[in-house]
Amino acid sequence: MSNTQAIPVEITRAGERDVKIRWQDGHESVYPARELRLKCPCAGCLDEVTGALRLIASSVPQDVHPLKIEQVGRYAVTIRWSDGHHTGIYAFDYLRKVCPCCSDKRQATSDK
Amino acid sequence: MATQYIIPIASGKGGVGKSTVSANLALALAKTGAAVGLMDADVYGPSIPTMLGITKPPEVDASNRIKPVEQHGLKVVSMGFFMKPGEAAIWRGPMLHKTVQQFLTGVAWGDLDYLIIDTPPGTGDVTLSLCQSIPLTGVVIVSTPQDIALNVAQRAIAMFKKLNAPILGIIENMSHYVCPRCGQREEIFGVGGARKTAERMAIPFLGEIPLSTPIRVASDEGKPIVLSQPESPGAKAFTAVASHLAAQAGLRAQQGAQVKVTF
Ligand SMILES: Nc1ncnc2c1ncn2[C@@H]1O[C@H](COP(=O)(O)OP(=O)(O)OP(=O)(O)O)[C@@H](O)[C@H]1O
Ligand SMILES: [Mg+2]
Ligand SMILES: [Zn+2]
Ligand SMILES: [Zn+2]
Repeated sequence: MSNTQAIPVEITRAGERDVKIRWQDGHESVYPARELRLKCPCAGCLDEVTGALRLIASSVPQDVHPLKIEQVGRYAVTIRWSDGHHTGIYAFDYLRKVCPCCSDKRQATSDK
Repeated sequence: MATQYIIPIASGKGGVGKSTVSANLALALAKTGAAVGLMDADVYGPSIPTMLGITKPPEVDASNRIKPVEQHGLKVVSMGFFMKPGEAAIWRGPMLHKTVQQFLTGVAWGDLDYLIIDTPPGTGDVTLSLCQSIPLTGVVIVSTPQDIALNVAQRAIAMFKKLNAPILGIIENMSHYVCPRCGQREEIFGVGGARKTAERMAIPFLGEIPLSTPIRVASDEGKPIVLSQPESPGAKAFTAVASHLAAQAGLRAQQGAQVKVTF
């Protein structure tokens, strides 16, 4: 059921802190580290019912960055962050949805 | 831990038969020759030990890891092993999260084909924590016809989808009444609600388990029906669901991606 776009081939570094994903359809997403931290989908950061952000942005260090990224199952990765946070499971579908270069366009056409 | 498929059994509300389904599915899978672990993550009312007639607590191995209790060919660990009565209240937030983690990493499961996880009622903290901290194959939703009618199951599914937790399928439990004497089927809440809902939500439908007293009695006696009366309609229903589950798990493992991560 996972859409074919949301299959990553490689997850690497972009610059010193940022995360780059190369997708099977050839697209490349670059996620600025802090932006990705603020998009953590875990229950502590995001209200799982309303979708509202629980995390207070000002509490996240400006220089926050991933220390380690690991695959979870066949659908997601977890990120161990420099601020100690590590409970988020970033599903590939989700990562693709929040791709910085695509999400502007997406918002214009449809949001689900 | 090398586990091929990790499958939590969840529901929108309590009492729909998650524990009954977890135990019987685990046993049905084990019967096919698979190595199966059963983890009872119900911190509020662990019932797996009773259902499987487990009386002795687990041992700890040389490296201080919990050795699951081997019962009826399953490897079993229950939160109940480590709780005193009234302790449930403290299992919250980060503590809970840690405990769930310990269950996965601090238990010497060995190599498993399946790890079936019985979850507490509803889509509460434990279940969400689980689904956010372990590499699931997919969540199985157990629902009753009533649940479907009242939209409870659908809301649970929406919740898991929101977490991006994969859903492996829906099981309808207590779907119809089978007369223990004549074997006649009677639908009490109407037929096929879960199947239709599954179709509409594009989720695999894994099958129906009849409402039948022998299923309950067998669990109460510590020997689930799949073991004690393998030829009964109830046991056959579990066996059929287990084979659909196995097929879906296999399919799921082929989907998705093996990604090269260098970070
Ligand atoms: N198909 C069935 N036919 C008859 N009785 C059943 C069936 N499924 C479950 N039961 C009975 O219903 C009761 C509740 O089942 P069970 O404990 O498995 O539910 P549960 O969802 O795990 O509950 P909880 O949410 O409290 O953990 C038990 O007495 C069980 O024996
Ligand atoms: Mg239960
Ligand atoms: Zn988070
Ligand atoms: Zn993009």
